[in-house]
Amino acid sequence: MKVVTGVIGNDIHVVANRLMDLSLTARGYEVFNLGVNTYLEEFFDAAVETGAEILLISSLNGEAEGWGREVKLLKAKYKSLDGLTMMIGGNLTVGSGNAEDIVTRFKNYGFDLVCHQVDLNTGLDMLEEYMQEQKHS
Amino acid sequence: MSTNNNKLLVDIGSTYFKVSTADSIEQHFRDFNKRILDDLMHKCGDIVQSYEPENVHICSSANGGLSTLIIGLTHSYSLKYATNIAYNSGINVIDSIVFQDIEEYSIPSDLIDVVIIVGGIDSNGGVFDERLTSYLDKLNYSNVVYVGNKNDAQEIAKTVERLEILPNIIDDRLHIVETHLKDYLTNLYQQDIEGKEDIKDLYEVTGNQIYSTPFVVNKSLPLIHTSFSVTDPFILLDIGGATTDVHYSKDLVSDNIVTEQGHDRIVFKKLGVYKSRQSLIFTAENNEYAYELLMHLKVTENIYNEHSEKATKILMQLAIFLVLCKMSHYRPAYVTLKLLAMNSIVFTGGITKVLNTEDIEDVVAFFYRKILNSDHKPVTVLDSDYDIWTLGATEHAACQ
Repeated sequence: MKVVTGVIGNDIHVVANRLMDLSLTARGYEVFNLGVNTYLEEFFDAAVETGAEILLISSLNGEAEGWGREVKLLKAKYKSLDGLTMMIGGNLTVGSGNAEDIVTRFKNYGFDLVCHQVDLNTGLDMLEEYMQEQKHS
Repeated sequence: MSTNNNKLLVDIGSTYFKVSTADSIEQHFRDFNKRILDDLMHKCGDIVQSYEPENVHICSSANGGLSTLIIGLTHSYSLKYATNIAYNSGINVIDSIVFQDIEEYSIPSDLIDVVIIVGGIDSNGGVFDERLTSYLDKLNYSNVVYVGNKNDAQEIAKTVERLEILPNIIDDRLHIVETHLKDYLTNLYQQDIEGKEDIKDLYEVTGNQIYSTPFVVNKSLPLIHTSFSVTDPFILLDIGGATTDVHYSKDLVSDNIVTEQGHDRIVFKKLGVYKSRQSLIFTAENNEYAYELLMHLKVTENIYNEHSEKATKILMQLAIFLVLCKMSHYRPAYVTLKLLAMNSIVFTGGITKVLNTEDIEDVVAFFYRKILNSDHKPVTVLDSDYDIWTLGATEHAACQ
């Protein structure tokens, strides 16, 4: 299964990005890692060029909040991304925040799976479960 | 000047031609009623005849370059990579089309020299459909090349006649692969130059292949420090009679394109002070700051209708301003350069014969103040003896 991943916005958390890449690869995914400092349009464009089934965005310094609001609008411009599974994880807010509120907010932005301050492996388990469910539904 | 003692270097432009020997460099305004060879021999016959054909090296930008239309999947990858390769091969991109919206694009009426189709990594497929053939059927083109994913190649070849299939320009890590498309386009450009009757005549005086001028200038960029005090990153502006070429350090671009070369090229096809004069004026009239620049230069818009030395000088200053605008966030074109990080700005071509350093610095400072709200001042370098061209031509001649 193909996954496009990277760190959104002006965010240089390269270690987290590398760990994400290694973990996904270890779980058998074909990973297209766009690295740090990636704009939203590049994520969607990469999904189109690769034919990826999953887009996994990570964020560690609150950049996701600003960019997340653009997701629905931008994704609607693409005619071939209806089946794309959208996931976001990391530290999705600046300072402290209620996890439940944050998850709801990002789901409203258009993400299918939201992992705020969730351990990497737990998050990837959630992804696998979700993909299994999608397969059977 | 960095010219080999026994070489004669000739550059044929759309407005002027230049002849460079070890001792001198001459520039002549072209007589458009004569064939290029006749004009050259009339004005510089003695010099040309004093060299053996194998020691005469000619480059030309007088054929205007080839035009391409690119059909790709996305702006960030397929279209961007193909555009980059096309510009660096000396080809002018007239339009780029996102395939998913292909039915919404108008059909260009002009003959397109080469259509480039690109999209998808090799493990992807089925990204193109009959809308591609339907669009191509309405298009007037001479060549068509496919550099997209492997899986779709044969299917497209069944419906598109004379389709040249080359390896994908996007690898499996979404990186650019330049070689094959670049070679194809460069060869196409060479064939075009050789095919032009006017240029073909020039083989009577040279035993070497005639290359495109942007190709030769590009050769000189890594060597520019040997002749000029240029600090990286820099841009080189060649404002000519018909087009404006910009060569820029890749450090000035935030890009996802990773290549080995340190410089890229972009061309503004209708920005020049002679053949493209009207289009330059049109661009100026549509720029809200151009009027202010004219005021700053103490002239009015009536200057557009004048044909004097002063008018040419003002138009050249306008051209500098408009090119910088096109390379900045103010008028985003194919690339936006980090102009505040630029340390040197090098000018070559006819512009150096008309403007002095002060004239240029005045406009550059105006641009930085008005558009970028900054007092940044890159060092202006004037290549008034065509040293950059001779540097590239000499380097190339030495390799032949």
